[in-house]
This record gives sequence, structure tokens and C-alpha cells, in this order.
Amino acid sequence: MTGIHAHYSALSLPAEWLIGEDGTTITYAVPDDRIAAIAETLLALESRLVWIFCTEEREENSYTLWYVFELAEMRKYLVLVLSTSHPVSLVEIYPAASRFERAISDGFGLQFSGSPDTRRLFLHEAYPCGFHPMKKSVKNVPIVPSQHTDPYEFRSMEGTSVYQVPVGPVHAGIIEPGHFRFSVIGEDILNLEIRLGYLHRGIEKLAEGCSPEKGVRIAESVSGDESVANACCYAMAVEQILSLSIPVRAVYLRGLLLELERSWSLLSDLAGMVTDVAFSTAASRFTILREMLQRACERLTGSRFLKGIIVIGGVSHDIPDDVLMEVKDTVMRVRVELEKIQSWAISVPSVIDRFSTTGVVREPLIDPLALSGPIARASGRALDVRCDHPYGLYDTYPVSPLIRMTGDVMGRFALKGDEVLSSLSYVNELVTQIPKGPVQTEYEVRDGYALAAVESPRGRTLCFVRIADGSIDRFALSTASFCNWMALEHAVLGNIVPDFPVINKSMNLSYAGTDL
Amino acid sequence: MNLLSFLLKKPEDVQAYTPGPAFESAGHSLRQEIDRVFGHSIAIREVDCGSDNAAEIELANLSAPHYDVERFGITFVASPRHADILAVTGVVTHGMKEALLKTYEATPEPKFVIAVGDDACTGGMYAGTYATLGPVDAVLPVDLKIPGNPPTPVAIMEGMLGLMKSTKKR
Repeated sequence: MTGIHAHYSALSLPAEWLIGEDGTTITYAVPDDRIAAIAETLLALESRLVWIFCTEEREENSYTLWYVFELAEMRKYLVLVLSTSHPVSLVEIYPAASRFERAISDGFGLQFSGSPDTRRLFLHEAYPCGFHPMKKSVKNVPIVPSQHTDPYEFRSMEGTSVYQVPVGPVHAGIIEPGHFRFSVIGEDILNLEIRLGYLHRGIEKLAEGCSPEKGVRIAESVSGDESVANACCYAMAVEQILSLSIPVRAVYLRGLLLELERSWSLLSDLAGMVTDVAFSTAASRFTILREMLQRACERLTGSRFLKGIIVIGGVSHDIPDDVLMEVKDTVMRVRVELEKIQSWAISVPSVIDRFSTTGVVREPLIDPLALSGPIARASGRALDVRCDHPYGLYDTYPVSPLIRMTGDVMGRFALKGDEVLSSLSYVNELVTQIPKGPVQTEYEVRDGYALAAVESPRGRTLCFVRIADGSIDRFALSTASFCNWMALEHAVLGNIVPDFPVINKSMNLSYAGTDL
Repeated sequence: MNLLSFLLKKPEDVQAYTPGPAFESAGHSLRQEIDRVFGHSIAIREVDCGSDNAAEIELANLSAPHYDVERFGITFVASPRHADILAVTGVVTHGMKEALLKTYEATPEPKFVIAVGDDACTGGMYAGTYATLGPVDAVLPVDLKIPGNPPTPVAIMEGMLGLMKSTKKR
């Protein structure tokens, strides 16, 4: 038995549709009139649609859509490939499809029939009508901003005493830009609509035509606080194409860097949450720990954000053992401190009052919206790419997912604290076991395509790379934030406007990682 | 009783953290220059126009305990109307151009604009692409460029010190 049938005999995908199977995916080519029916069957099997992306083929106006599904208990992703220029929308089966489809409409100009929301997603009014940057025929050169594009229409909420609170794109703090449109009655939030795209830098288009090596630096620039996760995911996709296995020492070092990044990044979330309930003493303590870790990052790689260390075939340079031991010491000191501060913060009555029952993400939302990362785990679902689809070091040294059941700000706060503690323990244990040896493998670029998945601090990161004629033909990246923003729109409903900042911080999603 | 013991508990001693000699000396010189040029303090408003959020993290770090730049007379403010300096990060995207210009207009004179990070200074790898207008000085007059991917807290302080030194009293 090969392909999907080894796992799900109920799903009838003819063997002749199978076009490939690798370490991460099982891929089937599907006729375009069958996708909706297959999606219905998959839904009945409790699968989740986690990504849709599009590629343009060499023949003019020929597009391929790639549907990535995650099935329970199945280590590989199921990918359905569809050649079509008139796709049908899957929104009614999988609500998460909506924003993926809108992104494809923006990028390639494909219209999904039956889609209830056909507004633009990442293209703002400055982009002329009919401009679709991801088409191969569109050159990556400066455009003349349009004056005539219709303004974006927010969903309208009407009724006695409903009023609107527009926030952003420039916010009060030192954070990224995005627009939040609240519809409010009194202080209660009736609806929230999030509009992003302000940071659209054309990263996917930028990568096209670049050498695979350059692609790592591009992936790294997607989001500063998850740069290792994104770079690693991209590098893993390319390594899959090249059938390259990286040296064991490099596998360990990557694991170390990924967990360090998770730790410092989640410490920012903890500090942010207590700041937003005016508990600045605890915030300062969390920030001190984060700074200690960022300095350790600098000691390891020369960059406080761990930039420049991941390369295809391993890591760019070896890290001497004495530096690793120094970092181990720091990690242990941070861990001891964090345990104290975490339990102290969580015992303060005013913190409990603000965190508990605030901003609940209900468990039934997780599958339809394809939520992942700490947001899903704090709502009682043990979803973690490191466990469900192990890669790199997690194959050898598994981690077990931590969960909380409440789904509120308190749940996310406690969970993120625990995750930092467990990441730091993981780092501490693995440092002493790193084997000696080279940290990079030679390779020769060859053509092909592959998908890779990584658990970033915020959740599931997926990266698709296709290499043609030795350079990148298509680079697509989906960070956890893309889907998780939907969780925020739902979590705030029924809460009061003054609680929005703390709910937002409890998720701390990346704007840059969504807009690309 | 619990509450009482909580309130009466002696606060725990927290170790003092220092940012390092280069940062300290830049900070103290900056303090004097700020006194000379602006009279006691400067207020900074940060605007992200296309950054990958690393520069934001470093700017926010300046107010964190290790660095604590408020002791040198530097504060970050929520409204551009309270700001002396706009710290702009990232390559300017089409989506952020209007918001950046409005923020600039809302900032009272005299004002400085500093570009923080490689992309804000030169456009970096995004220069000449469909989604961007280029570096900050393609859109606004820029008084200071602080390169780096992202610049470290020390680099940001030394950059601002250079700007203040070259400025006449206001």
C-alpha cells in the first residue's frame, strides 16, 4: 500500500492520481471538477485545510492550485494539485479557505466561483485594478500608484447605538501597522474586522529568479522574531528538493536555535500581556530575561535575532563548545528566574481578574479556521508541528505538546510561560549531547519542488519552493499568523474595547509575517 | 490574612543590569546634547513602514530595564503631536505611504526624521520592486540614517548622538 491508502482507506483517491510522495507530503493530481466532492469527504474525516497556494506554469495562463490538508494521526500532509483557471471556492466547506483564495485572486487574478468575499486582501488602493503581481508576465518594477481604485469596504454593522471605532494603521505603541475596525455597543465589541496588507513588501515575487542561497536571507526577512523558523522551513524545503541530509551537528544546532528563538520570542508575549494590564514590575522582569537570551543569541551567532546563521545544507559556521556551555548557563539562570516570576505574576489578584475569561478562543473554531500554535494549544488541542510532523532534531528528541483547556488570556499566558520553560529545558539537555563534526554539506542545485513545515513560536509555518533552471521559480510561505488573525476577530466578541490590547498581545501575531 | 502578608512581604532584591560601557557613554553624552539642543528631553514616535519587526523590538528595548533611556531624557510617545523625532523603520510600502505622510504632518516643528535599519536607509533588497517606494528619504526629508539589520541599541544611541552634536540649539 502506498500513498494515502496506507492511512485512510475510506478516502477514494485512485492510485493513478498519485504524483509523488516524500518525507513531508503525499501529492495527488485531482481533476478540477472533483475537488469540492473530495474536500467534503476529507471534512468528514476530520481533516483541516491548512493552506492553498497557486503556481503559474510555463504555458501562458495555466495555473496550478495546491491544497494542503492535515489529517489526524497522519505524519505527512496530503496535497491535492489542481490545474485550472476557473476554480471553485471551498469556503463553505473550509472557512479558512477564504483568505487563501483572496490572496490568490490578488496575486494571480484567478476568480473563485461561489466565494462570498471577493475583496482584495494584501493589495491596497495604491495598486491599479487588474494588477496581479504574481503573474510571470508582470515584471517586478516600481508601479505608478493608482488614484482611481475603489476604497476597501468594511463589513457594515447597523443598529441603534452601534458605533465604529477605527484603530490604526499607526498604533499607540512601538508595534507594526494594521487596521482594526470595531463595531461597538456601549463598551461591548459586537464585531471586529482586521485589515492588514500595510506591510506588503512583495517578498514572494522578490524571491523569484534569485539563487536558492539568497532565498534563505529572504525567508529570514519575513518576520524578525521568527527569523530562524522561517529560514529553517525554507532551507528544509530546498534540502528536500536536493535530497540533502544535513550533518548531525547542524541538526542539533538548528534545534538549539529554534528553541532559543521560541523562548525569547514568547518572553516578549509574556511581558506584553502583563504590560497591558499595567503590571509593569513583572513586565520589566520578563524583559530582563528576554534581553539575557537575546545576548546569548548574539554570542552564538553574532546577531541578536539569530539572522544569517541558517544556510542550505546546515548552518553557516560552527559554534565552539565553550560558547555553547556559556549559553547553557544563561539558559539555566533564565529558567530559574522565569519559574519564580511566572508563578508570582499569575498569583496577583489584579492579573487574574484581567486575564481570566477574557478573549476566549473556543475549541470548535480551531479546525474551521486552521488555527495553530499556542492559540490552539491553550484551547485544548495538542497541535504542534514538532509532534505531529516531526522534523530535524524532533525526530530524535521528541517534544510533547503542552496544553491548557480554558482558551482565555490566562490560558495563553500560562501556556506560553510553560512553553518557554520546556524549551529552555530542551536546550539545556541537548547542549551537552551535541556531537562533534562538520556543520555544512556541499550540494549541487537541481530542479524540483517541495513543501516543508516547521513549528515557529506562533505555530505552523509552511514553505513551498520550486526550483527551475537552477533558480527559484516559486517561493511561497504561510506563517501561523495568517490563519491565527481570524482567532482574534472571534476572541474579542462580547469583550469590552479596553480589553482588546491584552487579548491582542496574548496572541501577539506577526503583521509582517502575514503581509509578506 | 493572605492579602496582608502579600502586602507586607519585603520586596525581593533584583540584580542591577547594565547595558555595557559603549551604551552608557553614548547615553551620557546624548543627555548633555539633548539638554543643549532641545532643553531636557526628546520624544520619539516610531512608525513602521515595512519593517520585519526586528527594528521595532530593538527600539522598544531602549525603554527596557537593561537600557532604560528615560534616564537620558529620551521617551517614546503614542501621538506624533507629542513627538520631536520620528523614527521610521523599514522600506516604505505603498500601503504605508499615506499613513507615514499623515504622521509626519501631525508632528510639530521643529522635528527630525531618523531612518532606522538597512531597509529604511537604502531600501535594501526591496529597492526597485513593485510593492515599495524605496527608502524613507524617497518620501520624507531624512536627518539621520542608522544602518543595521536591525541596528543594535548601542548603534541607535550613537546615531542619535551624532545627530544632536551636528544640530544647532533650537
